[in-house]
Amino acid sequence: MGAYIVRRIFWVIVVLLAVTMITFAIFYLLPTGDPAVRFAGKSPTPEVLEEVRRQFGLDKPWYEQYWIFLSNLVTGDEYGWPGLGFSFDTRIPVRDELIERGPRTLSLAIGAAIVWLILGVTIGVISALRRGTLLDRAAMGFALFGVSAPVFWLGLMGLWLFAETGGGPDWLHFLPGTGYVSFSEDPSGWFTHLVLPWVVLALLYAAFYARMTRGNLLDTMGEDYIRTARAKGLTERKVVLKHGLRASLTPVVTMFGMDIALLVGGAVITETVFNLQGLGAWAVRATFNQDLPAVVGVVVVGAFAVAVMNLIVDIVYAWLDPRVRYQ
Amino acid sequence: MLGLAVAAAACGGEEEAAPPAPPAETEGEEPAPPPAETGEEAPPPATTEEEAPAIPVGGTYRVDWEESFGFTGGFDPVGEYLGEAFGIYSNLLVRTLVGYRHVEGAAGNELIPDLATDLGTVSEDGLTYTFTLKDGIKFGPPLSREITSADVAYAFERIGTESLVAQYGFYYTVIEGMAEFTAGEADTISGIATPDDKTISFTLTAPTGDFLYRLAMPAAGPAPKEVAGCFTKAGDYGRYVISSGPYMLEGSDQLDATSCDTITAAKGISGYDPNTQMILVRNPDYDPATDTTEARENFVDRFEFRINSNPDDIYNKIKAGEIEDAVASEPPKVLREYSTNEELKPNLHINAGDRTWYITLNLTQPPFDDIHVRKAANLVMDKEGLRRAWGGELFGEIATHVVPDAMLNELLADYDPYPSEGYAGDVNAAMEEMKQSKYDTDKDGICDAPECKDVLFVTESDRLRQDMLPPTTSSLEKIGITLKVRSIEGAYPVIQDVSKNVPASGRPGWGKDYADASTFMVLFDSRSILPTGNVNYSLVGLTPELATKTKAKGTLEGIPSVDADIDACNAIPVGDERLNCWVELDKKLMEEVVPWIPYLDASAVQITSSNVVNWAFDQFSGTIGYAHVAVAG
Repeated sequence: MGAYIVRRIFWVIVVLLAVTMITFAIFYLLPTGDPAVRFAGKSPTPEVLEEVRRQFGLDKPWYEQYWIFLSNLVTGDEYGWPGLGFSFDTRIPVRDELIERGPRTLSLAIGAAIVWLILGVTIGVISALRRGTLLDRAAMGFALFGVSAPVFWLGLMGLWLFAETGGGPDWLHFLPGTGYVSFSEDPSGWFTHLVLPWVVLALLYAAFYARMTRGNLLDTMGEDYIRTARAKGLTERKVVLKHGLRASLTPVVTMFGMDIALLVGGAVITETVFNLQGLGAWAVRATFNQDLPAVVGVVVVGAFAVAVMNLIVDIVYAWLDPRVRYQ
Repeated sequence: MLGLAVAAAACGGEEEAAPPAPPAETEGEEPAPPPAETGEEAPPPATTEEEAPAIPVGGTYRVDWEESFGFTGGFDPVGEYLGEAFGIYSNLLVRTLVGYRHVEGAAGNELIPDLATDLGTVSEDGLTYTFTLKDGIKFGPPLSREITSADVAYAFERIGTESLVAQYGFYYTVIEGMAEFTAGEADTISGIATPDDKTISFTLTAPTGDFLYRLAMPAAGPAPKEVAGCFTKAGDYGRYVISSGPYMLEGSDQLDATSCDTITAAKGISGYDPNTQMILVRNPDYDPATDTTEARENFVDRFEFRINSNPDDIYNKIKAGEIEDAVASEPPKVLREYSTNEELKPNLHINAGDRTWYITLNLTQPPFDDIHVRKAANLVMDKEGLRRAWGGELFGEIATHVVPDAMLNELLADYDPYPSEGYAGDVNAAMEEMKQSKYDTDKDGICDAPECKDVLFVTESDRLRQDMLPPTTSSLEKIGITLKVRSIEGAYPVIQDVSKNVPASGRPGWGKDYADASTFMVLFDSRSILPTGNVNYSLVGLTPELATKTKAKGTLEGIPSVDADIDACNAIPVGDERLNCWVELDKKLMEEVVPWIPYLDASAVQITSSNVVNWAFDQFSGTIGYAHVAVAG
């Protein structure tokens, strides 16, 4: 197992290298113009433009910039380790921005993941065990609604119904609305500000998870070993939870790991609607503003999260399914 | 607010402003409480005479900003070119030798003394300007010391320091010795003299009629060397701006300014986080006796600017009274509601934006290298259709020339060289003009040359510009010009690259830096043509030599130049003569050069909450007149 993990970590590094290099290449190959122009004033002199390029490190060939980026990433820069430079837009170190915005996105992603996992798996199990009943149809109807309703619409409706500034019935206005409060500052404020984004984001994913759990569980419950378990006299509860559900959750775990990892890169729409100022909204703005260091910073975090979550998923696989063995 | 699409520079307007009412301590209103962090007594707002109107003093003015602050230079006054930032500096944070009243209309564009005792004295040759600083003006905490002429001079050294990337440093190259200082050939700027702590003079290399306006720009405000001097990279001082105005960044008094090490270790003043918020509180070292209520009334105790990525939420909060104001694009339904609901109408503020939107025509590219085609395009354009695409009359007046009417004292308000019924375009007149073009070979008023087919037209991919396409294309088709439209996310870098040789674009708009038409003329000055970042989109005044440098291709001979006209107007001091000079140049541009199809003299629209009991529009910065706003107690 140890050797496997080391090997996987090596691949994480390779993935990071590839992803950052592609990001750099896209930035320089796409015809979006010179980023220095945006920050050099309305009618910049060539000297001012050159100075902006110099300060942004854009006066060197792209491969040299990439090499400097890699060196700083490993050894750190004037702002600390890892060295990710400073945002062209806000002039703050990218590292500081990631530290500031990361917890916001993580709070959203992890909270929503817990909600959708509980909701999705529970609905999926109930629906599978009560197949063809009204309960099953209602659960699948809910799943269809979750998949179909756009997140921004759900978000706006949620705010309209439950936020203090919303236009819905007053008695429903028990949530503070948009914005983010850090957990260390005010745990209850953190919770009340995030509960709506969690639910809105979770509704979309829960729908997928419910359908997937239901389908997998239905398949599993038809397997021979389930019949054997029943024949041995195990209670239905034990059959479902210990034998059926455990096996049917393997693909759910794969999907869960990937979904969380992708959300670490930012749930752009949810972050925007709820004004969470996380990584996603920042990355989008940075892309439009040609803010390369910010884009690369978020890409590094996102790629790292995907790689690490993949590793965790593989390890959890071994626990869930003893047939999986690492060589 | 409208006009958010173009980030740089302030906007202005026209209406005659009523003199702002002085503040009051009436009806049991408490004077402003002492600032929480210092414990010192808060300076009361500046007062005049013994009048006591019922405008409450105190409270917090909360403004949500959509997406981000959008600062161009990290909020360092030297590198900051955003009109919204100008508003914060000029109203609240950075006083300049001369300044503005921060009200709407012509009164808001007039200069008045601020740090200086008067508007200065000018030598007979128009080359030397001398000012005396008022007594008792101090920097705010943590310095709390008298501002001297050396602090003003230091601001100009910062402008001349290349590494700080002064974004409008070109306004000050006219100061003698600035070029040498920038080049590192001199330790000081020879044209700036500070014979004592209260006196400062500027010697120029050429008469510059609008120099006073340039001195009113935030970059020219005093900078304390002991703090600003700690930063050598563009934008870094923005998180440490030391106040010379009535408010300061919250937490300024906590900054340990003992040395550059202690300053930089603070990682900025706590009241400003570029990602989330900027909080301003009263500056205890501000003495209202050094100011006038004309310029600043300072009713509220605190300003809170916060970033909010959801515009719907922003306007819901305004309606609910959770915030007072916004720097955001109003969703159409919100504008509709506020413009039709009688109860909400008083909270909708529409002011002249001093910003022109236009279609640019490249003088080197066929068929627009023919003036008759350019004139025909102006005649045939459905400008009312373009304004409808923007959302209608609320968004501004139809533009018929280059400089916004308010900036020319309405002297060209009735001028329209290409008139048409209801601004819908005059096809017959356009065809008559087209007949004179070399591209209309059979002289039937329709362009039949291949140069008129599939003419590249670059625009933005956003909804507004897409809505502008039908009236644009259908108008030009009436005279035989068909467009090949390329919609790009971020069209400016493309049209600002001369080597791309873009014939026409529907993207550009331009706002003033200050209320002088010279700030529009950079758009037609051949000396401002650059290979990239070029804003003289039409390439007015391009010479074959310049074309080689910038890789411009096309018709390079006989392109008209207005450089001499610009220089002639610029040499005239601010006043009627100068104004008339610009008026004539504007007419010349529209009739003899025809570089644009101007279509909208844009408004600045603002929506406030019902908490706001006193609101002003700052014509200089084209944004909220923070110095005069007040909220219900």
